[in-house]
Amino acid sequence: MERAAELENNNNNENSSTSSSSSLIGGSVRQEWPTIDGPLGLSENDSVWYARYFFIFGFLMLPLLWAVNCYLFWPVLIHSRSFPLLRPYIVRSAIAFAVFSAILGSWAVTFVVGGERLFGHTWDELVMYNVADKYGLTGWI
Amino acid sequence: MAQNPKPRSIIESLGEEIVRIITPVSICMFLVVILVSILNNSESSSASFTSIATIAYTEDSSDSFWDKFEGALLNSLVFVAVVTVVTFVLVLLFYLRCTSFLKYYMGFSAFLVLGLMGGEIALFLNQYFRIPVDCFTFLLVLFNFTVVGVLAVFMSKMAIFVTQGYLVVIGMLVAYWFTLLPEWTTWMLLVAMSLYDLAAVLLPGGPLRLLVELAMARDEDIPALVYEARPVLANDLSPRENVIPRRLWREPRNVDSGINENLNSGSSVNPSGTAVSRLESNQNESRIVNAVSGQGSRGISELTAPLIEHRINVQMHLAQQAVETENLVLEGIGLGSSGAIKLGLGDFIFYSVLVGRAAMYDFMTVYACYLAIIAGLGITLVLLAFYQKALPALPVSVLLGVLFYLLTRLLLEAFVVQCSVNLIMF
Repeated sequence: MERAAELENNNNNENSSTSSSSSLIGGSVRQEWPTIDGPLGLSENDSVWYARYFFIFGFLMLPLLWAVNCYLFWPVLIHSRSFPLLRPYIVRSAIAFAVFSAILGSWAVTFVVGGERLFGHTWDELVMYNVADKYGLTGWI
Repeated sequence: MAQNPKPRSIIESLGEEIVRIITPVSICMFLVVILVSILNNSESSSASFTSIATIAYTEDSSDSFWDKFEGALLNSLVFVAVVTVVTFVLVLLFYLRCTSFLKYYMGFSAFLVLGLMGGEIALFLNQYFRIPVDCFTFLLVLFNFTVVGVLAVFMSKMAIFVTQGYLVVIGMLVAYWFTLLPEWTTWMLLVAMSLYDLAAVLLPGGPLRLLVELAMARDEDIPALVYEARPVLANDLSPRENVIPRRLWREPRNVDSGINENLNSGSSVNPSGTAVSRLESNQNESRIVNAVSGQGSRGISELTAPLIEHRINVQMHLAQQAVETENLVLEGIGLGSSGAIKLGLGDFIFYSVLVGRAAMYDFMTVYACYLAIIAGLGITLVLLAFYQKALPALPVSVLLGVLFYLLTRLLLEAFVVQCSVNLIMF
């Protein structure tokens, strides 16, 4: 990950010094790569589709997709005021992921810490290992 | 930067490439060893574990040496036969250009492995450690994990690290499943699969060789689960060459990346592979056999909550075994379209199965087998650089590993234990 970022920096630096001779296939001069993989990843135009659909599908109870979106487009988050097409989606993904994980985390911690004092006998009914025993979920193998 | 950085030497980039393929293999093996040492402590009844690999003979610890040997041999021959048939079906489908079907099947297989297998192992760990997680959180996390995993496998443009991580996890889950087979069957299976791999990749009529040649002729990628290491880009790669050349075995590369000069000059090849994993087929079959209890399985078959659709689909599933997950994992090593080393997921799986089985005996065998496998992988990489075509990655490593396991268990253990007990060394 560091190597890709370092390469991206190298590319950016070299780009500023050799901008006259650098040209992409499409003729565009911008060389920054919006994805964390740098030159191995997507170009900016291709990645709009990915950013948008990762954000939209994250609403199907898939916060990990938001997190992957933020990870994949990490340079977009870091360098503010760059990639104007992508940045709204990525920022919204980051906010949504933070909110969701706060909610889920607080519920999980409440469940663990509260235990039987808080929930009564439903704690035993909700905890996963009892549920697995009840429905015989581990008997497949 | 004002001046160009020092150009990387061939040694650096070659070493980097090798490290980038050995690291995930080691991580996968390490995870399987941990899982095996945590979960297989009870050494519970493997008699109830029926799958396609134990269809011919169910091992019993009270059988004689020759009975076990013959039974294991029979099991592994049946297994190799099924794998051969499945691989030929894969070649046929690829020949008929059903690549989208294969891709969807790959995604479906990944979904089953991550969702069901991963969920089950997570449940085992939950029960073992008594983790107080509630079912909503658990199911939500599992759902997320599975869906993102399927996307990582499906989409070629996901973050490289995410895809690699998920491939390693899939390899680990399938390898853990294989370690549940009886002991003799496992070892015989490993040897049989490595011999099959050798034949399938190198013989002119071998299915994998046909597959690779088809893929090369059509300039396509085989739709399969293959681990591709991140390609090493030279530091002095000028920006205009940022677009990674797609097919290296069409024209020689003119980019000064050390490893590419080393390994790709001319005709480097896409991955070969044996279609190996038949996880779902086995899983379905074991579920089916469990649901329809007593059907050809010795010992007590565990009663599970019979799922109606599985009972109805008994015949269909058993017939579908040949088609299921043939492309889930491929074995074999080769070079990807971006010059990075590609290693089929079947190799990950069988290496990890070997080490996992060794872990079920003692950690001494684990160290010996790990060293053998890494040495074998190094030899295979050297051969890959030498021959510049797709090679089977199983034979050298697995045969060395089995040899080292036997030597350690029979000879080294007595020596080491006596030395330790008498406080001479270790």
